[in-house]
Amino acid sequence: MAEFRLDCLGEACPVPLLKTQKKLANLKIGDLLIVEIDHSCAMKNVPEWARKEGHHVEIEETGDGEWEIYIEKTK
Amino acid sequence: MKLEENKYFKAVVKDAWPYTLGAVLLALLNITLFISNGSPWGVTTPFLYWATWIYKAFGGQVENWVYFNNPAHLKAINLSFLTHGGSLMNIGIIFGAFIASLAASQFKIRKIKSIRQVIVAISGGLLMGYGTRIAFGCNIGAFFSGVASFSLHGWVYTIFIFVGAWIGSKLLVKFFM
Repeated sequence: MAEFRLDCLGEACPVPLLKTQKKLANLKIGDLLIVEIDHSCAMKNVPEWARKEGHHVEIEETGDGEWEIYIEKTK
Repeated sequence: MKLEENKYFKAVVKDAWPYTLGAVLLALLNITLFISNGSPWGVTTPFLYWATWIYKAFGGQVENWVYFNNPAHLKAINLSFLTHGGSLMNIGIIFGAFIASLAASQFKIRKIKSIRQVIVAISGGLLMGYGTRIAFGCNIGAFFSGVASFSLHGWVYTIFIFVGAWIGSKLLVKFFM
């Protein structure tokens, strides 16, 4: 079980989502991916996609207009 | 209890409103605007006037341009930021969005990540600006107000926005991934 960080700060939609999809595909089951974002629409579409794929998702607000999305790969 | 944890504050100020609520509010506001103003909502034409006013302030001449043969446009170029309704609405949108993001503590000046991002943003902006002139508006003026006015141009716009979005996403994946 490893932990990975993906820096998407300063990236506008849909780049964070595309990068998350690409990164998560290379991870093993049980791995944790932390996506750093500062574009509010990525806070909606990244978790939405990950939940639909069946992964565990949590969002944390880390600062003004900054979030970390925790995605645990489950399959 | 902290304000941030209040469920009403969270639903109204902090979280994004549901799409359906936004759609109904936009429809009602556009109807109100159409009744009071005689023309539905548009965003990009005022931006053209802003550029025209700036160009005129530096001594530029636009009165003989083909585009300004249209009496509505010709009338607008003699107005200003504070006397043109559409411009006031655009200023209101920018100001309102600013207040909303401050209230939700989500205001942030984002860093520029790479020179590539700058080039893509500027060329994208120029293409969109040019597009709005040949399409008679953006997704507000041409799509939202155009389709609601039963105008054929709104539907032509709708078909081609999908074509454009498809090509745009292919380019995006090619240049940013």
